[in-house]
Amino acid sequence: MDRISTNLPNDNMQFFLRERQKLMEQTQNQIASQSRIQNLRDDPLAASHATRYRSYTARLERFSDNIQTVQERNRIAEGYVQEATDLLQRARELAVQGAHGTYAPEDLEHMAVEVEQIIEHMVEIANARGSDGTTIFAGDRSQQLPFRALRGMRAGGEREMVTEVQYRGTINPQSAEIGENSYIQTNFVGNQVFWAENQQIQSRRDAGDYQVNQEGSFSIDGVEIQVREGDNAYSIIQKINQSGAPVRARLDPVYNSMVVESTSPHQVWMQDQPGSTVLEDLGLIGGGDGRAPENIAPSARRSGGSVFDALINLRDQLASGDQEAIGSRGIQAMDQSLDNMLTTLGRIGAVNSRLEGAFERTEMEIPEVIAQDSRNTDIDLAEAIMELRELESTHRAALGASARIMQPTLLDFLR
Amino acid sequence: MQSTFSGIELGKRGILAHQQALQTTGHNLTNASSEGYSRQRVQLQATLPLYRPQLNRPERAGQVGQGVEVSRIERVRDELLDGRIITASGDKSYWETRDRYILQMEQVYNEVGDSSVRNLMDRFWDGWQELSLHPEQRASREAVLQRGGALVEGIQLRFKNLDRIRDMVEQEIRGNVEQANSLIRDIADLNREITNVKAAGDQPNDLLDRRDLLVDRLSQHMDITVDDRDPDEFSVYTAGFHIVQGRIARPFDVEANQQNEGFSDVTWRHNGERVQFRGGNLGALLELRDEDLRTEIQELDTMAVNVMDLVNEVHRDGYGINGRTGEDFFTEYPAILNAQGNYDRDQDGAVDSSYLFRVNGTNSLDLQAQIGLSGTMSLPAGSDIADGGILNLPYRAADTVEDVIARINNSGADVTARLNREGQLEFKGTTARDRSQPDFVLRHLEDSGQFLTGYAGILAESGPEGALRWDQPDAVLALRGETATRQGADFAVAPLMHPSGWMEVNPAVVREPASIASSFSVAGAPGETGDGRAALEIASIRNSAVGIGRADTLDDYFADTVARIGLKGEESEQALNTSERILKDLSDLRQSISGVNIDEELAEMIKFQHGYQAAARFISNIDQMLDTIINRMGV
Repeated sequence: MDRISTNLPNDNMQFFLRERQKLMEQTQNQIASQSRIQNLRDDPLAASHATRYRSYTARLERFSDNIQTVQERNRIAEGYVQEATDLLQRARELAVQGAHGTYAPEDLEHMAVEVEQIIEHMVEIANARGSDGTTIFAGDRSQQLPFRALRGMRAGGEREMVTEVQYRGTINPQSAEIGENSYIQTNFVGNQVFWAENQQIQSRRDAGDYQVNQEGSFSIDGVEIQVREGDNAYSIIQKINQSGAPVRARLDPVYNSMVVESTSPHQVWMQDQPGSTVLEDLGLIGGGDGRAPENIAPSARRSGGSVFDALINLRDQLASGDQEAIGSRGIQAMDQSLDNMLTTLGRIGAVNSRLEGAFERTEMEIPEVIAQDSRNTDIDLAEAIMELRELESTHRAALGASARIMQPTLLDFLR
Repeated sequence: MQSTFSGIELGKRGILAHQQALQTTGHNLTNASSEGYSRQRVQLQATLPLYRPQLNRPERAGQVGQGVEVSRIERVRDELLDGRIITASGDKSYWETRDRYILQMEQVYNEVGDSSVRNLMDRFWDGWQELSLHPEQRASREAVLQRGGALVEGIQLRFKNLDRIRDMVEQEIRGNVEQANSLIRDIADLNREITNVKAAGDQPNDLLDRRDLLVDRLSQHMDITVDDRDPDEFSVYTAGFHIVQGRIARPFDVEANQQNEGFSDVTWRHNGERVQFRGGNLGALLELRDEDLRTEIQELDTMAVNVMDLVNEVHRDGYGINGRTGEDFFTEYPAILNAQGNYDRDQDGAVDSSYLFRVNGTNSLDLQAQIGLSGTMSLPAGSDIADGGILNLPYRAADTVEDVIARINNSGADVTARLNREGQLEFKGTTARDRSQPDFVLRHLEDSGQFLTGYAGILAESGPEGALRWDQPDAVLALRGETATRQGADFAVAPLMHPSGWMEVNPAVVREPASIASSFSVAGAPGETGDGRAALEIASIRNSAVGIGRADTLDDYFADTVARIGLKGEESEQALNTSERILKDLSDLRQSISGVNIDEELAEMIKFQHGYQAAARFISNIDQMLDTIINRMGV
């Protein structure tokens, strides 16, 4: 610049001091707030990543909470199943003793009394509530007791006893999200846990020339199966067998009627969807508003029962002193019940180990994501302080230089 | 013959000239800090000497000098530099205004922080997660409700803040137009005065300085160019039109534009046409109001309307613990109270258009299935993307459903597509790119082949006859299976303008938290108390590709919006710094040319003072000479 006007140094001083003060203010704010990003403009892309990290952290924390809640529920359920297993163990011992043939009928009666107590205890376990007051083995009908014990007098007995235990819960799974879009079933359905044998439901109605007359659907074990007009018994059987429901359907060779069997020990749960009567027409379920599972057609034959059925039978066999039945069916039923109970325990164990793994992974991921976020948005304190020091000294120097702008003018030398 | 007293006359001229020069130096010194002042220089020149060659010229050696005179007083100024400064100051003021408002918009986001809408929304979804774990508990329902309320408040607050900023911008536009108008009038007035002074043969230096200052100020408001080739007609242009032509001023008007939510357009007062500013703070303000703030509000609306629609879609299907179903979680206010979306757009008493926000097909599709059909879909788009606002999108037999959906969503059309929870193809209107078209309205849906008709089950017929068009009433009749009596493909009417401003949690749900849906029905019966599937499904909206406008997931949405406004801020800050530097350099240059340097002026002062003293001394010498002749020659 050729010529310096008198105001120029002054203007420049103001301009640069303003700029430096802005920088100092920014650095100070960064240090005070411990964040590199005061406004989004300071690093838009880092801020945009940070929103993802923070939301993701919140979600991971939720998954971690979910996992812990499920784990706690599982622990409680496991305790009760373990207790039920111990009870069945004792019932089996009694069955083995009762089948001995060395005990007098009175002794068997005493054993029957003990089995009765086991049944009562078992009903209590099956109706157990978790820490939040909901029933554990009720499917999703979690505020009602899942098992109802019907009592009555037995021939020869002098007290009221449990004659039948009905399942009143549902088979709907409850689930929780334990990872991004990864779900786990959190409940144990009572008519699966407390079941002893594969169930078989055999209709007595000839299905040879049955045809569906109207499009509709029905559900078996919660799996919905669509039927079309004109489907016959064979196509329905095929649809059931391919549906993925844990049952198998076939035609009974004698009655030419529909038979549905479960492939694993549980209660078969059949329902016609509103507006459809396929299962009713096939003679599997009764008409009317009967709610599953108590809707099996009266004419249909049902076999394969629950742990309670097995215990009630054992008690009756003991009470009546039928040692042969105790030795065969009684012990077998106990074995099957125990087997299923142990399967449930195994399943809980497997679920627990999956949860354990998920929990560890989540707990490990949280600090990692937080660290990533911190790398993105937090300041490097040492660097920031260095920068501030640097700015401070340059500011000092600039102020010093500014003072020299007021140099002597020609005026000072004029008389 | 030379006059005896001519020496005195010559000396007097010298005194007067130097006095005037000193006066100008004083003027410079005292104006050293005046804004827009340019230093002035007195041009001294020798007066015309004696004698001119003419008949009565004395026969002797010439020419004889007659002393000094002030030829003119000129200001030192580089007018080419002025032109550059005008451009640079328009630039700087554009970025300055933009930066100021973008910063305010950034602060509305409250990111990265705990009080951002994103955080409130995270907590909202978290509430649904909690409800899915404990559907029996009243507390988890309360949590969903409270967090839903907090989310709604957060969204509304952000809308209000953005809206307030928009109102501020509007106010500033009006204020700036007023200032610009008064500057324009002042410049025209000064032009008149300057021509008058010039006509008298004088240099109106200070008036010119003042006019340059006013032009500088005007250049902060808009992009102007200056033309002073004709000294009698100093002109100022913006966008190719005169705003000042000599003594004629062409001021602006502001007129409310109903097409633009009642915000005002800047128009020419003489012909009522809209002015397009490209720079200055008016350029920045109009752009902020009509582009940036509009986009921000549209994006917020998009998020609000989609979250409402997605949550309600599941919520309506779900059952509360009291067995109630079909309730909305968020109240939806339709733009029009007509079940078919028919609307009387031109207010002439007859319905003339259809406002549909969403349509669903009747068939369940599989994302991975190959469609086996080919044809061309026609979708609505901004006129900047497709001619006539209709975008043609081909699909081929080998495409999967997923491919087609991705192509639709990436096409830039004003619709988004996805498969809803029943696997049906769903189209939703987005915000409109063109300001004249309504937001969240499906404007056009047409298929030359069978994809949208038989395959997805949305439209009844292929080809232009079967198109769903928004500019005719009863567009719903184009939907598959839709007749005057029977309802076919599902659809929803467009929401009221600015959903983020009125979004609320359904009062029926607030009164009765037990109605909050957590379960789905089983075999037609209400869900059980322990069933949290509906809650879980709502919570899963959080991390599924649900299509929030042009973003896939909510995560994408939040990250995109934050990045967008942040990048705008970064750009404006950098551009402001650059333009500030440029302007500063140019102003320094101008200061260097036109600015007053006191030392220089003092030196001049000494020079002129001595000149004055010398002239005075010369007069006194002549005086002594005359004294000799008159008094001492002694007759």
